[in-house]
Amino acid sequence: MDTIPHDAPIMAGSGLTARIRTLPRPDKALLNLLFGAALLALVLGLADGLLTALARAGALTFFPDDAYRLLTVHGVSVFFYWLYLIQAALLLALAAAENSRGLALRPAAWAGAALMLAGFAVSEWISYTGTPLLYDGSPELAVDDPRSVGFFALGYLLLSAGLTASAVSGIATLLQPRRRGEAEEFGAVGFALFAWAGFLIVSAIAATNAFLPGLLWSLGAGPFPADHGTEWHILFHNLHYLPLMATVLVWYVLTRHLTGVTSIHGARLSKIVFAAYLVFVPPTSLYHMFLEPNLSEGVRVVGSLLSLFVSVPTLAAFAIIVSSLEASARAHGATGVFGWIRGLPWGNPAMANMGWAVVNMMVGLTFAFVLIQGELAPMLSDTFFVPGYFHLFAVGVLTQTFLAALMVLLPALNGGHLWRPALLARMPALVTAGLLLFAAAGIAAGTMGVPRRVFDVGYGGMAPAAWPVLMALVGIGASLFAAALSVSVYGVVRTLLSGRKLSAMELPAVDWKAGQNRIGAAPAWTGPASIAALVAAMYVFTIAAFQLIQSLPVAVIGGGHGH
Amino acid sequence: MKNDEVRLMLAIVAVWAALAAVYALVPSLGMPGYVRVWGGGAVVFLLLAAVLTLSGRRGDGGEAPRS
Repeated sequence: MDTIPHDAPIMAGSGLTARIRTLPRPDKALLNLLFGAALLALVLGLADGLLTALARAGALTFFPDDAYRLLTVHGVSVFFYWLYLIQAALLLALAAAENSRGLALRPAAWAGAALMLAGFAVSEWISYTGTPLLYDGSPELAVDDPRSVGFFALGYLLLSAGLTASAVSGIATLLQPRRRGEAEEFGAVGFALFAWAGFLIVSAIAATNAFLPGLLWSLGAGPFPADHGTEWHILFHNLHYLPLMATVLVWYVLTRHLTGVTSIHGARLSKIVFAAYLVFVPPTSLYHMFLEPNLSEGVRVVGSLLSLFVSVPTLAAFAIIVSSLEASARAHGATGVFGWIRGLPWGNPAMANMGWAVVNMMVGLTFAFVLIQGELAPMLSDTFFVPGYFHLFAVGVLTQTFLAALMVLLPALNGGHLWRPALLARMPALVTAGLLLFAAAGIAAGTMGVPRRVFDVGYGGMAPAAWPVLMALVGIGASLFAAALSVSVYGVVRTLLSGRKLSAMELPAVDWKAGQNRIGAAPAWTGPASIAALVAAMYVFTIAAFQLIQSLPVAVIGGGHGH
Repeated sequence: MKNDEVRLMLAIVAVWAALAAVYALVPSLGMPGYVRVWGGGAVVFLLLAAVLTLSGRRGDGGEAPRS
């Protein structure tokens, strides 16, 4: 027998949805506004991303400026406005749910939303009409167009100010139960939200550090921001951790909602893991300097060693969640190596999105480790290897996780139910299939030298014959995951817009909550075994990448822009 | 446990402040932006640790955490 017996009762709904359902009306309005704006950014970014991929595949042809405009809008919309609007909204929603009485400092939360939406409007407008600066807004691309640089910087600065105001409201909300004397300490989720809110503020500081000089230069109030590339790297390093921390936090919340399981290792260890995200942020930043040709060998070695810690918190949190789930499932009678996984409520679209997000994370991490090694980073960072692997994170992990959260929160927020859950539950597997094809072809193309951000890679017929084949596969993979993701996004948007017009309906869930005396009777090896498999895969693909690159007639002395 | 949360925040402050100091005191690294961001982060997390300490003093007794 390799399944879990159905002695576990189906949950009728968790405390999370009950608390969201009873939020004050102004808070619900604010959350609907932010969720809607985030989804609009995702739709814009998805459409422009698909056009970009088709152009890279050779299926569409654009004038160079139009192609870079598409790429700019894609990056700005998805990487900044989708990911940060949704994070602000989730922080506020989960903090309000923790508080049980809605948001504190509500004017700050509304001001934050207004600032972020103003930034969204400014960024989209200048990206569509100004000099296309790509998502990092490099002033060097528009030395003769300070207006574009200034408005582009203004958009991100407004977003940063809005994130700060939202985070302040979130922090005040989380502290309310303590101030009322109703709680002495945070739970694991409460502490993680508190730390995450602080990290949002710090990232806003990093964004200000990167983009304020551009705005000042455009106004004639400062020198040309020649160091933009370095300042961008600092911001970008923070932006590696921030959404991943949010993702793991959402996994904690959804795991409890969908299975009733909390960490079997206790809240204290979870708090240490979430704090570890922030502890590891500064020391692991050195690897972004690997692209500097003058970097000393000593710094390169130290950076390589420290970079190995980059995913420690994520893997630790993953191990906590998986071991807690498996041990709880086995306490309820799950048998076989993977019987507990089959017992998860896969018919629930939130579970399907979260589960496939984990698969994407394991694959993406493997190649992230390949990329950040000192010897490989200079050779691969300007190739299609980078978009090839990071879409596994941006789409497969982050976007699917945040959509999973929306699939739980929106019906609770507005009183209806999720649009066509049986259809939506099938989409994450399709998204992952498309992503794996996109990533495999893109990573192979990158290791063979296909550059990123270059739309015509024919080089007058001199390019290797494999390049167009691989890029065509990239286009096919992108079309598949974009189509499947569009269905998921449509379902979430329909749910948001339909409100109470869709009658309430229970989605599958299980209750694997088990007393401590029932935990541990059978070993739970899946978490540690997965991490061992990840390390083994990392070694294999690193060796393969080295051997492939050494077989090519190329020499690299360093690059300039990084990611 | 309540003190654990403050200690964890202070551990974050210590690391961020130390890295800010390294970038400030080793000019050859040539990264003043790192000083501003890691230093600013240290200040933010120090403020959060202070807020945690103060809010803990205001509440007397309390329920077990929810999660």
